[in-house]
Amino acid sequence: MRTTFLAGLAALLIPALGLAGEYNLTVDRVQIDTGDFVKEGIGYNGESPGPVLRFKQGEEVTINVTNNLDEMTSIHWHGLILPYQQDGVPGISFPGIKPGETFTYRFPIQQAGTYWFHSHSGFQEPDGAYGAIVIEPEGREPFRYDREYVVQLTDKHPHSGDRIMRNLKMMPDYYNRQQQTVGEFFSDAAEHGFMNTLKDRMAWGDMRMMKADVEDLQGFTALINGKGPEQNWTGIFEPGERIRLRFINSSAMTYFDIRIPGLNMTVVQADGNNVQPVNVDEFRIGVAETYDVIVRPRDEQAYTIFAESMGRSGFARATLAPKEGMEGVVPELREPARLTMADMAGMHGMDHGSMDMSGSSDMAGMDHSGTGSMEQSDMAGMDHSNMVGMDHSGMMMSNTGASDPFYAKGSGIVPVAANGGKFLSYADLRAQDPLYEDREPTREIELKLTGNMERYTWSINGVKYEDADPIRLQYGERVRFKFVNETMMTHPMHLHGMWSILDVGADQWNPIKHTVSVQPGTTVYMETEVDEPGQWAFHCHLSYHAAAGMFRKVIVEGGPDTTQAQTDAVVDNGGDA
Amino acid sequence: MNASAFLVAATAMTISATVSAAGAHSGGHGGGSGEPGKASEVSRTINVEMHDNYYEPESIEVNPGETVRFVIENKGKLVHEFNIGTPDMHEAHQEEMMMMVEHGVIQGGTLNHDMMEMEMDMGNGHSMKHDDPNSVLLEPGKSKEIVWKFSEQGNIEFACNVPGHYQAGMYGDVNFN
Repeated sequence: MRTTFLAGLAALLIPALGLAGEYNLTVDRVQIDTGDFVKEGIGYNGESPGPVLRFKQGEEVTINVTNNLDEMTSIHWHGLILPYQQDGVPGISFPGIKPGETFTYRFPIQQAGTYWFHSHSGFQEPDGAYGAIVIEPEGREPFRYDREYVVQLTDKHPHSGDRIMRNLKMMPDYYNRQQQTVGEFFSDAAEHGFMNTLKDRMAWGDMRMMKADVEDLQGFTALINGKGPEQNWTGIFEPGERIRLRFINSSAMTYFDIRIPGLNMTVVQADGNNVQPVNVDEFRIGVAETYDVIVRPRDEQAYTIFAESMGRSGFARATLAPKEGMEGVVPELREPARLTMADMAGMHGMDHGSMDMSGSSDMAGMDHSGTGSMEQSDMAGMDHSNMVGMDHSGMMMSNTGASDPFYAKGSGIVPVAANGGKFLSYADLRAQDPLYEDREPTREIELKLTGNMERYTWSINGVKYEDADPIRLQYGERVRFKFVNETMMTHPMHLHGMWSILDVGADQWNPIKHTVSVQPGTTVYMETEVDEPGQWAFHCHLSYHAAAGMFRKVIVEGGPDTTQAQTDAVVDNGGDA
Repeated sequence: MNASAFLVAATAMTISATVSAAGAHSGGHGGGSGEPGKASEVSRTINVEMHDNYYEPESIEVNPGETVRFVIENKGKLVHEFNIGTPDMHEAHQEEMMMMVEHGVIQGGTLNHDMMEMEMDMGNGHSMKHDDPNSVLLEPGKSKEIVWKFSEQGNIEFACNVPGHYQAGMYGDVNFN
C-alpha cells in the first residue's frame, strides 16, 4: 500500500547513480502540432514540452544543456532552491548559453515536489521551451497514491512570442476579442438603465482599459502535456486507484480554472510544498504555479480534465480513463467573467467627480463607498485601503455574489465552482509542515504593480526594469513584501531563489510558494526569509508583462561566510525575461 | 528553522481531553463495525501511531469476535482522529468533522476544548462533542486507548476524518483472519 511510482523513474535520460545524477538536455527547433495548427517552436531533446526530469531529494545533479539554436538560450529551474549562478537568468545569474555551446549546471536537490523548467531568454518559453520537474522526497509523503501523472498546461499561440510582443506594443487590444459591442451596450442599457450604462462605459474609457481585459492574449490553443483539446491526452487508471495529478501551468499569459466533473480533488501540494489537504471541486491555477491533487475514480468510466481559461477564451482538455480511447463529456465554456469597478479600485488618479451618481438607487445593496463593509474575519493580510473615498455606487457590479478574500470585494472575476461546490482559495492553504518558524519581519517593502494598458507598459512602482535600481536585501533578514495591484490585471509575482511565505492570516501555518498571484484592486503580503546570497530575478510571470518591464533584480548583500557574492560582476549581456 | 516549537506550544496546552472512550453511543456509530469492548475480554494490544497524514501500521489483522485494546498516539504536528467504521460511516462523519473545522474546534495542531465541552446543537443531532466510543480525536503528542470488539466480519477501516486527511490517504484496513 505504499506509494508506488508506476511512471518509470528510470525510463528517462540517464539513470541516477546513487545520489549523483547526470542529465543531458538539448535545446532544439521543433514542430509543435496543437491539432489546430502546426508551428515551429523551441523544445528540449527534440520535443515540446521537454522531458519530465525526475530527481531525488538529496541528489547532486549535473545537467548538460547543449544549445542547438542559432541564438542565445538559458534554462531556469523554476522554484528550485539553488546557488544563484545555477538559476539560469541571463544577465543576473550568468551570461547565458551561446549557440553551439554546452553549459553544465550543477546543484544539490534540497527539496521535493512538483516544479518545472523553462528558458529565461527572450520569448523562448512561450515558443515551447519548457518541461516538468518531479522530485521524490527522502522520507515518505504525507499522502499516498497508486499512480501519478504530470498535467502540464500551456497556451500555445500561432504567433511567435516576438510577433505577439510587437503587436501588443503597437495595439494593446490586438489579441482581445471580447471587447464590448454596441449591441451589448443596448442590452446593458435595458437591464441597468441608459445613464448607468453610459457612465460605466465612460469610466472605463477614462481608465484606458477595456472591461474585457481579463486576458490580454487570446487566440491560443490550450495544451495539456503538449496535446490540444482534440488530441486529448489520456491518463490510464484502474477503478479504485488513487491518482496524484501534478498540475503545472507553463502558460505565457493564461490562468486556468480546472475541474474534473464527477471527481472531488484533494489538494495536497501548492508550488511543490505540501499543504494540509483541502477537498475541492475546482481550482484556479495562476501562470507558473503548480498544484498537486489526489483523485480517486471508482467507476469504470472516462473523466474529463477540463481547464477553462480565466477569461473563457479557450480551454484545455484531457481525459482519465480505464482504457485508451474512452472519452468523457466535454462541458461547454462558461460565460466570460467581466471586470467590475471593484477590480479597478486600486487605480490612482481616478477622477469621477464629474459623474452624476444620481442613478444609484437602482443598485441597492451595492455600496462600495469604502472599506467599512469588509466583514470577513479571515481578511488578514489583505488591505483594501486604496478603495477609500471611491464611490462607485452607480457602477455595474459583480452579480455572482461570490467572495474570496484574495479578490476585491465585488470583483467580477471571483471564481465559482461549476457544480456550485468548493472552489479553492489561497485562504484555504496551510503549510503541512512549516519550513520556517514564524517571526516578525525586519522591514516592509512596498511594490506597487503598475502599468499603462494603452501603451502596453508594465512596471513596478511606476518604473520599468531597465530604468530601475535593484532591490537590495540583507542576508539573514525577513522582509515583508506588500504588493499593491494598481492595474486591472492579475499578476503572478515570482521571486527566484528564496521562498515566498504567503500571508493567508495563518501565522506559522502560512504556506510557502514560489509564485503569488495578486488580483486587481487588492493588496497581498508575502514574507521572505533572506537565506540565499547572490542576485535573483523577481518579476511578473506573464511573459509579455515581464518583458515590458514588470521585473526587478534583487541583490542579497552579505552571506553565511566569505562566499560573499561578486554579484555586480556578472556579465550583463543576455536576455532579460 | 523547524517547527518543533509549534509542537511544544501545542502540547503545552494541558487542558484535559474530553474525549471519553466509553461515552454515549450517539450518532448511530457502531453498527456493522463492531461494538465497545470490555477490558476483561481484551486478547491483545495494538499500538497505532498517527503521523501527518498517515498511520503506522496501515493495516491490521483481527479475528471475528476478538476484543482489541488500541493504544493510539499522535506523533504528528496536526490534530488527527482514529475512528473505526465502515467507509459509509466515515463519509458521514467527515461532514461533522468539516463542521468542527468551520466552527474553529479543530485548528491545525490544536483543539478548542472549551467549544467541545459546550452543548452546541449543530442541527440533526450533531454536536461539537467528539465522544463516540469508536473514535478518539488527539492533539499532537497526546495518547488514548480504545477497547473495541470486532463482533463480526465486515468492510471496516480505521480512518482520520479531519477534512482532507481521509482523501489524502489517512486510513487503514481491518483484515479479518
